[in-house]
Amino acid sequence: MKPAPFHYHAANSAADAAQLLGDLGDDAKLISGGQSLAPMLAMRLVRFDHLVDISRVADLRGIDRNDGTLIVQAATPDVLVERSDVVVASVPLLTKVTPLIGHFQIRNRGTIGGSIAHADPAAEYPAVALALGAQMECLSVRGTRMIDAADYFVGIWSTSMESDELLKAIHFPVWSGRVGFGVAEFARRHGDFAIAGAVAAVELDSGNVISRCSIAMFGVSGQPERALSTESHLLGSTVGEISPEEVGRLAIAEVESPSDDANMPATYRMSVAASTVATAWTNALTEAHHG
Amino acid sequence: MADTTVGIPTVSVTVNGVLRRGTPEPRKTLADFLREDCELTGTHLGCEHGVCGACTIFMDGEAVRSCLVFAVQAEGADITTIEGLSAPDGTLSVVQKAMNEAHGLQCGFCTPGFVVSITALLRDNPDPSDEEIRQGLSGNLCRCTGYQGIIKAVKIAAGQSVAANGKAH
Amino acid sequence: MTDTSAAPTANTGGARFVGQRVQRREDLRLVTGHGRYTDDVVVPGMLHAAFLRSDIARGVINSIDVSAARQLDGVVAVFTGADFNAEIREHWVDFEGPGGDASPFRVLADTDVRFAGDPIAVVIATSRYIAEDACELIDVDIEPSTPVIGADAALAADAPVVHAGRADNIAGAIPAAADPVLDEIFANAAHVITETIDQNRYLCVPMETRGIVSQWDPFNQELTVHISTQGPHGVRAYIGRALGIPENRIRVIMKDVGGGFGQKMFMIPDEVAVVLAGKRLGRPVKWIEDRRENLMSGLHARDDRMTVSFAVDDTFHILGVKCDLIEDVGSFNAAGSSSIGFVGLLFPGPYKIQRVGFSAKAVFTNTCGRCSYRGPWMMETAAREQMMDIAARRLGIDPLEFRRINVITSAELPYTTAAGLVYDAVSIDGSLEQAVSMVGYEAFRAEQAAARAQGRFIGLGLGLYVEPSGIAMGNMSSEAAIVSISVNGDVTAVMSSGSHGQSLETTVAQVVADRLGVDFERVTVVQGDTAATPFGPGTGGSRSAVILNGAASQASGDVRTKMLEIAAHVLEAATDDLEIEAGNISVRGTPSKGISVTEVARIAYLRPQELPPGMSLGLESHARYTPNAPFTFSNSCHACVVEVDAVTGGVKVLRFIVSEDCGVMINPDVVEGQIAGGVVQGIGGVLYEEMAYDMSGNPMNTTFVDYLLPTATEVPIIEYGHIETRSTTNPGGFKGMGEGGAIGSPPAVINAVADAIAHLVDGPIKQPMSPANIRAAIDART
Repeated sequence: MKPAPFHYHAANSAADAAQLLGDLGDDAKLISGGQSLAPMLAMRLVRFDHLVDISRVADLRGIDRNDGTLIVQAATPDVLVERSDVVVASVPLLTKVTPLIGHFQIRNRGTIGGSIAHADPAAEYPAVALALGAQMECLSVRGTRMIDAADYFVGIWSTSMESDELLKAIHFPVWSGRVGFGVAEFARRHGDFAIAGAVAAVELDSGNVISRCSIAMFGVSGQPERALSTESHLLGSTVGEISPEEVGRLAIAEVESPSDDANMPATYRMSVAASTVATAWTNALTEAHHG
Repeated sequence: MADTTVGIPTVSVTVNGVLRRGTPEPRKTLADFLREDCELTGTHLGCEHGVCGACTIFMDGEAVRSCLVFAVQAEGADITTIEGLSAPDGTLSVVQKAMNEAHGLQCGFCTPGFVVSITALLRDNPDPSDEEIRQGLSGNLCRCTGYQGIIKAVKIAAGQSVAANGKAH
Repeated sequence: MTDTSAAPTANTGGARFVGQRVQRREDLRLVTGHGRYTDDVVVPGMLHAAFLRSDIARGVINSIDVSAARQLDGVVAVFTGADFNAEIREHWVDFEGPGGDASPFRVLADTDVRFAGDPIAVVIATSRYIAEDACELIDVDIEPSTPVIGADAALAADAPVVHAGRADNIAGAIPAAADPVLDEIFANAAHVITETIDQNRYLCVPMETRGIVSQWDPFNQELTVHISTQGPHGVRAYIGRALGIPENRIRVIMKDVGGGFGQKMFMIPDEVAVVLAGKRLGRPVKWIEDRRENLMSGLHARDDRMTVSFAVDDTFHILGVKCDLIEDVGSFNAAGSSSIGFVGLLFPGPYKIQRVGFSAKAVFTNTCGRCSYRGPWMMETAAREQMMDIAARRLGIDPLEFRRINVITSAELPYTTAAGLVYDAVSIDGSLEQAVSMVGYEAFRAEQAAARAQGRFIGLGLGLYVEPSGIAMGNMSSEAAIVSISVNGDVTAVMSSGSHGQSLETTVAQVVADRLGVDFERVTVVQGDTAATPFGPGTGGSRSAVILNGAASQASGDVRTKMLEIAAHVLEAATDDLEIEAGNISVRGTPSKGISVTEVARIAYLRPQELPPGMSLGLESHARYTPNAPFTFSNSCHACVVEVDAVTGGVKVLRFIVSEDCGVMINPDVVEGQIAGGVVQGIGGVLYEEMAYDMSGNPMNTTFVDYLLPTATEVPIIEYGHIETRSTTNPGGFKGMGEGGAIGSPPAVINAVADAIAHLVDGPIKQPMSPANIRAAIDART
């Protein structure tokens, strides 16, 4: 199962990668960790005349805390996110979801930016970015622009980036105070893409009132889904006032076009999704309560 | 990065301590480069799409699926394959000995990938829990052993005691 | 000559190694990456093959244009059916014999395609990469027509025929025989329970796909074939007949093979195309099946439906059974595709059911053909054991009690089944009780009730069966061994086997070492090369312990006898007074009066004047062994405990127990390893694995992304109980058990899940038991 031929370009910087993309146009594809792209190339499901390799570009790798923002360069391997003290101190939700991604061998090569730019609807990182309102720093020969996560994911394996743009870094807002985070997913086997999953973030005030919260689901449709109405409903309520099961029910009701096929009917998938929302929410609350 | 000045990129990579040079076409996988150009056939191809783990090697110290790396991407890398884990005189590593002791292989095809993965697992987590062992093994597929002997091998290599019927104490 | 003595004697050797968990000889090369699998074989001038395959399940080929492919730089040749199909003189395997038109065959599809994956052309190029590029340049015009997908479609009155020229889609049938006695039993029975049980299509999936390197040397008129197979002699004979090459000009070599499970027992047309291509070009050609090909077109398995009726009296005895089986054998029923005969023969299994009515059909569909996957007849156990639980629940009795009432007990041996099979030296009830005791059945029922009250669903399932091991019929009737002791006293056992994970290099050496009285390290086992080894049918069918070791024992015994006679002559003692231990032959009680095996060998080869008068030189024996019965029955009981999540339908296998009686165990590690591999294949087939086709005949699970194998996180620690009832069919007392793990586990898992949700669901759950299917069953709440 061998790929079709391509020309290879090893970018030596982010700017160089942007230039290459600009020059080579639609026939070019970025490769970072290759954990999603290489299998598709091997199966000849896709082919490109040019591959631009950003897996060894120094200024596309790194994790920095900058006041209230955690900036993760896009080609940072998942394993560095998993092991980073800076991440666990700043955006612990990333630390919680990373071990659920595939297997450690995949995480040694796969990158956080690769996952986000690939935009698989069942992936965890896009849901985290969406839940936390991350900003995607995108680079092209025309310069840099920021795309809010809410506008970034537009469909299955589709983002709102232009074809000559590369994801340079993801800026995650840091939540502080009495905060808690949770993730729950259901997959056929350990490490598989989730049938459905959810991430949750919550901030409590001193009176156990929910002062801030975020819930995002993955695997439920063609893109990660934020449960904005559910969040509004929860704001201002006291812990326990709305049961986790109710939170789950509310969240799935917001999914407009749930995935549906003969093997996995939408009712089943949403039922599982509701259950993962309930669990993720419970875990987040528990953490915030004790934090 | 690959030297492209002469038109045909030359790849220089250290494999099991030996510097190797080759001119693989860009689409040639690192797995094929190791097997064909370096004549190290211990790294096996079980699926060529990054699921089975039979092709697992060490690249710059981390266990990766070599079928998902193109040889040109390994320019300058330090690679260790299964052949590099035992001594030149055939002395087995701790993990290899444990696999033998625990009857962790039958046909042997998945074995090199497991040995590399287990070596990485125990290097980073020398005393793993049962759950950590299973999760650490979940990226490699085996069809002959039902994983029983392999799980036992990890425990033996980690110096954990193993009771009859494979249950840990 | 067969030795049926009950226990080993001084003249048959000790038991220093047999019964021990001897570490494997094979491991040194395999754990270090120095095995030699077919893709590791590199021959000067070797070319590479890739196939263009149909992505349409059924259609007429209007044209094939290979001209663009031929032009591609690096392509040496492109061949189609027009080049190869007429080259085949005869097409049949030793296992089946010449079959006339019973099995439609062609090397490459020429007139039409009959399944998605049907090979149409083969490209031979300087690299596999280029060969695949060239495949994309081949232009095939196929006019699609509606494919026959699923057995129902195949049997429908107006069904299109998969093979033109045939009247229908029946590949084989066992018609229902009129049986008024059985009809009367059913008419008068207190209870009649009928269910239809399905088994989804799932696959062997060895970690090494197929591979072949074929090299025709016109200057020596010799064909050398390296192949990932389960037996080299069958390959040699088949190619010899197919291509008209004398068998003694063909050498087939299998060194290390990465699993087979039945998929590699016989060649597929793709491999034949490679041999033909190599011969035509006069260049060595290698083909390595890729994983997508292995899943899509590498031969499938299971895919059965059985309708079972039990007639039960008011004391819960099963008086009679009717069953009707439908097997989907895909488009090309290669050897081993159909097991309908065996299923009928074995159906009553471990129970006293004296009247069985069996009928079956094997049907063609426009899907990939079928192979003999580990326990190919296992639908008899899968369906029967599920029926036992379903019937028990309907009757209001615990499934264990229902089994206890009907099981064949040891007191009833020898027992003759309704089909005329004779069970003896088995421990069917013993394994049932051991499994039940190990799992803690009563305690579990209490735990289950408590859990259910808390809304947790845990369940226990049993799978009880009798395994026909050591099948000795037709080409499988014998195995051979050539055991010799060399001038320096080292032992070689040249065997007819084709080990591909069965540890035969170790277990045969254990048997030979014990028989000869030498150290295990002194024995080397050679197999897998037709230039060196005697004819065998290949390794499979759970035959090695019984038949292969029967041959090893016999040949070793002959050599032992000769050694003792030479030693007796030298030591001036009687042979009955001698013993051999660790390579030393001495007079019992006088260890100083002895002679080493090496010294005896030196006499035998170098100093004939010291031999007993009239004795020939040498220490070697060639023995071909047949057990004294066509089957050597082993038995086992599987017990599985699961938890089912009511929301997700996810299943966690909490415990898995196997009580196994395979007679004298040569190497308990090997026995347990074989059980474990089979059990996890069964868990996979029930919970994770499925090869599904859509109604257009597209296979849906053609990569490991969609075809899910269990990993280490999906399996529990398997617990083993061993019972050793010596077999009477062979001198070692061994029984085979290699397939059993995959036979008993599917119903054990299915029954466990059904048991967990028995308060919600009655009757069979749609297979495979994916989380969505289990949740759907719960939601439907019958």
